[in-house]
Order: sequence, then C-alpha cells, then structure tokens
Amino acid sequence: MMKKFTLFSLALKNLKRKPLRTSILVIAIGLLVSAFVFALSFVRRVDSSIKITSERLGADLLIVPTGSRGAAEDVLLENEVKSFYMDKGIVERVKKIKGVDELTYQTYLVTITGACCDVPESIVIAFNQDTDFIIKPWLNKKLGRRLQKGEAIVGSESAFNIRIGLTEVDSVLFGNMFKMVGVLDKTGTGLDNAIFIDDENIADIVRGGKANIKSGQISLIFAKIKKGHDPYKVAGEIEDSIIEVDAVARKDIGKNIINTLRDINRIFSITVILASILSVFLVWAVFSAIANERAKEIGIMRAIGAKEYHVVRLFFLEVLVIGSIGSIIGIISGTVLSLLMAKSFTILKNLAADLNTVERVFIATLSFLIGTVVCVAGALSPIQRIKKLEPLLAIKEE
Amino acid sequence: MIEIKNLIKTYNIGGQTIKAVDNVSLMIEKGDLVSIVGHSGSGKTTLLSLIGGLTMPASGSVIIDGIDIWSMGDDKLSEFRNKKISFIYQFSSLIPTLTVLENVMLPTAFGSHDENAEEYAKKLLDTVGLKDKMTSYPSQLSGGQQRRVAIARAFINKPEIILADEPTGDLDEETEKEILSLFHSMNREKNITFVIVTHDKEIANQAKRKLKMGNGSIKEL
Ligand SMILES: Nc1ncnc2c1ncn2[C@@H]1O[C@H](COP(=O)(O)OP(=O)(O)OP(=O)(O)O)[C@@H](O)[C@H]1O
Ligand SMILES: [Mg+2]
Repeated sequence: MMKKFTLFSLALKNLKRKPLRTSILVIAIGLLVSAFVFALSFVRRVDSSIKITSERLGADLLIVPTGSRGAAEDVLLENEVKSFYMDKGIVERVKKIKGVDELTYQTYLVTITGACCDVPESIVIAFNQDTDFIIKPWLNKKLGRRLQKGEAIVGSESAFNIRIGLTEVDSVLFGNMFKMVGVLDKTGTGLDNAIFIDDENIADIVRGGKANIKSGQISLIFAKIKKGHDPYKVAGEIEDSIIEVDAVARKDIGKNIINTLRDINRIFSITVILASILSVFLVWAVFSAIANERAKEIGIMRAIGAKEYHVVRLFFLEVLVIGSIGSIIGIISGTVLSLLMAKSFTILKNLAADLNTVERVFIATLSFLIGTVVCVAGALSPIQRIKKLEPLLAIKEE
Repeated sequence: MIEIKNLIKTYNIGGQTIKAVDNVSLMIEKGDLVSIVGHSGSGKTTLLSLIGGLTMPASGSVIIDGIDIWSMGDDKLSEFRNKKISFIYQFSSLIPTLTVLENVMLPTAFGSHDENAEEYAKKLLDTVGLKDKMTSYPSQLSGGQQRRVAIARAFINKPEIILADEPTGDLDEETEKEILSLFHSMNREKNITFVIVTHDKEIANQAKRKLKMGNGSIKEL
C-alpha cells in the first residue's frame, strides 16, 4: 500500500488495464523509432565515411583514367577491389598544368585468389615513395623508414583479413615473395583494406605475368594545388588538355555516392514520415477510445477537485510511459538492425568509417524525441477534449 | 453560507427547452442540515450539481461565503470542489482501478499533501463499516458498500459543505441509520453544512429544514 497517492501510480495502473492495447501502442512506436534509427544510422555512416576520406587523403585533386572515377571512389570510399590503368607519361603532362603543385601516383593491383599461399583477394597499392604524401604520414608513424623492395605493409582491416599479426610473415603476392613488415593504423578510409608496396616492385610483378598489368601503367594521380588557385578551374584545365583523364576536386570526391545516398535518404525520409503519420493516427485513435471509456472517471476526478492540469498530466504520464518504452525498444532494435544489416548491405559493408559513440548517442536522443513527440501529438486532441468535459454529464455516463 | 439567486438551468432535448431548475432563490446558513424531497425529475440532482459547481447555470448565481462560484476560473473552482465542498452521488462514483482505500484518499492527490490522510481514510472506512474491505476493488463490493466508500471519501478533505444526493438509496435500514447518525454528528461537532436529497420521509423529517422541489421550483415545507 503506497503512502502517498500519486498520479504516476494511477497512470501505470491505467496502462495495465488493457495490456494488449498498451503493448500494441508500444510496439508501434518501437517499430517507428527503430526504422528511424536504422535510416539515420545508414545515412550518417555513409556521410561521415565520405567526409573522413576526402579529408584524410590530403590531396586537392584526384586524377583518374577517363571513365574510372566511379571505380576510384569505390576503392577509396568503399574498399572495393578494382583496377584501372593509364599511361605513366600522363604524370609529366599533369605537372605542366598551371596551378598544379606536388603530385604523386599510385598503381592498384588486384591479387588473385585460390593459388597456394596467396592472400585472399585484396587490393595492392604500389606507390612512389619519393613523391608520396598520401601514405607517408601513416608509414612514418608505424615504420619510421622507407619500405624496401620486397617489403609490404598492410592496412589495419586488411591485416585482419589476411590474419597476420604484428609479427613479420612472408606472403606471396603475384608469385613474388613479400615480407610483411607491419600494420598501419586505422585511417578510416578505403586504404585500410589495402596492402602497400613500393612501386619499384612493379617491374618484377609485370615480369611474373601474374597481375593484369603492363609496364609503364599507373592507376591514379593525387595532386596538390598551389595557393590561390581554384581546384575546380585546375581540374577543368587538366581535363581540357589531357583527354585521357578525369580530374575530381577534393570536395567532389564521393559525389556519385552522395547522389545515390540522397535518393536513399529521400526514400527513408518518406518512409519515416509516413510511419510517423500512421503512428500519430494510431495513438489518436487509441486515446480517443480511452477518453471515451474514462469519461466517467475523469468526471469523478474533476468533481472531487482535479484541475484540468491534473487530467492533462495524468494522460501525459500514460503517453510518456508508452512513448519512452516504445522509443527505448526502438532504439535498441534499430541499432541491432543497423549492425546486422551493415553486414549484408554492400554499401555499408564496405564503408570505411563506423559511427562513433557521440553520433550513436545523438541518433538515439533524436529518435527518442521522435517517438515521444509522435505519442504526444497523437494524444493531444483527445486529451484537450476530455479535460473540458462537464463533470455532471461525465459522471452520469455509464 | 450558501446564497442562491434566481438560478436557472435549462436542457435542450429535440428542440424543446426544459427548465430543470427554474428561477430558484435560496439561502442556506452555515451549519444547517437541509433536506430536499420531490418527485423524480423535479430537478433535485440538477440543483445540487449547480451548488457543487459540477454544471454551469443558464443564469443566476451561487454565492458561497461571499464568492460567486461561477465567476471563478477552472483552477479556483476545482480547488473549491476539492477543499470546501463534497458531493455524494446518486450514481456510483468510484474509480474501478483503485482500491477502496485509494478511492477514499483520491481527493488528497489533487490538493496539498496531508501526512495523516491515510490514517484518516482508514478511520472513515471504519466509521462506515468497511474496515475489512480496504484493499478490495469497487467491483468486489455491493452497491451499498460502494455507496459507503463514496460517503467516506466525501469527508477526507474535511469539507465545510456536503451535498448528498440520495446517500442512503440502496442501504438497509440498519446501515442507513448509522450513516444518518454520522451526518448528524458531523453536523453537530464539525458544523458541516448538509444538503441531503432524499425520497425517505424519515430522513427528511430529521432535518433541521425541509424543502420540496417540483417542476424546477422549490418551496419550504
Ligand atoms: N443531461 C440532460 N439532458 C437533458 N435533460 C436532462 C439532463 N439531465 C437532466 N435532465 C432533465 O432535467 C430534469 C431534472 O433532472 P434531475 O436529474 O435534476 O431530476 P431529479 O429530481 O434528481 O430526479 P430523481 O429523483 O429521479 O433523481 C429532468 O426532467 C431530466 O429529464
Ligand atoms: Mg436525482
């Protein structure tokens, strides 16, 4: 027996009166919130991957063979294993374009699976250590020296994939023996899934004939722009004077994905909005029924001194209990769903960056608000109606 | 003191206007014990509800201790219904989800918290003979027992006025007597004003003042 009689305990008792109806409402809110959590996690994750990658690459321009822009973005943003080539002579031609400062180039090689002692299919990036400014910061931090010929260093994810630890192991890449000398820290980009070698090794690999590459080929060029030059202008100039390449400004890296994402985003938004409207109606219908059922009780309470505010508070407590439980269930199931789906959604599976705790908390908070606001919005008009009931009329109702 | 001036309450049914209370003027002194008799449909419940602030008059005023209750805002009127006045209904009026004890204590949830409310509620339940039913729910009680819970509830906030609408309607003679003696002793000891609507001649005759309603009008007996 409670000592002090509170409206909250009354609200809980009211909810227990029709457990099935209460559960249906809670589940409906849970579904809505979990759809919201899922959609938001998806969008935020793709978004932050693109941002991190374009920031960390440290280049103003990305220059790729004409038509290979998508493939390049797939490698850099989504860890896909793809190769595309252009002539190495293009490096010199790009250098001559006004506004171009430093540049470096990389060659992407795809390993072949199945053969003995080969690593599983992954991308091998041959880079030029004399000009490189993309890998160097990470390499310096981990190895503190240049990579020698016959040595390879692996990205953090890739290390996991090919199961090498911190110990040095030898692996066969394209028929050549490589000494794995270390694992790079996580960069949060597609580079985490690559294996890095110096481009001196390419000659041997070409000679071995086990990679689909001819001598004198590279995959892409990263360029820095001189101060005061507009990256878009320089990119345009490069494309105009060298028809074999596409030039992508840093801000545009991932634009293709962003466009796709925008469509997905729109679909998610429409779904969530429709689901919200549906939930508002559901809450409205249920609370209208509740208001009718309890008219007499509310009349009695008003007659013995409940103010309009007490009636509103009593109902809001019920609404908030439903909203919070539903939202919490939704947040948990939505998060679990997005983690499970991450494994089967290609676009998510390959994304470099994961959501951090701050973002997850942000998503959870926002979703909680959505769940509660939907409940309150649906219950508002029935509550307004019932608080205005005349006590005498309400009491006489049977 | 209750002052009723030219009180009119009308209902519209199917285009016809019924005057349920028709220009009633009345003074009830503090500490009085008034009975109202009258035919079914003569307007007794309506008059009582107007005095108790449960329904709005078409015109006229109800002035209690100098304040026109229908000029107060909803908050003040609710406070007035909570503290000053208690209503015992002709209809069943308990909250089904609450136990008997909780029902009796319910008015305290809408006012200032009183440490001794639970003790007092138990004492009142004892007085109406329901000490052993405190943890029962209304659906587990008989009609007369429910009525007695409502009577106990009417006293919980120590009101100055009690408006009782056929309070002993479904009680046996024995219990009826006990309830009546409770009313009389509360009237005597605590100077609570009682207005009791009844069909029972005995109850009416025991009142200090007797009124009769007919067709919405009231007259002294
Ligand atoms: N909500 C309503 N709508 C229309 N008419 C009503 C309403 N409530 C009461 N009336 C009418 O007002 C008149 C007075 O009703 P009231 O309930 O005050 O009678 P009463 O004297 O209490 O009767 P009883 O002794 O049967 O309880 C009746 O004619 C009744 O039909
Ligand atoms: Mg009546």
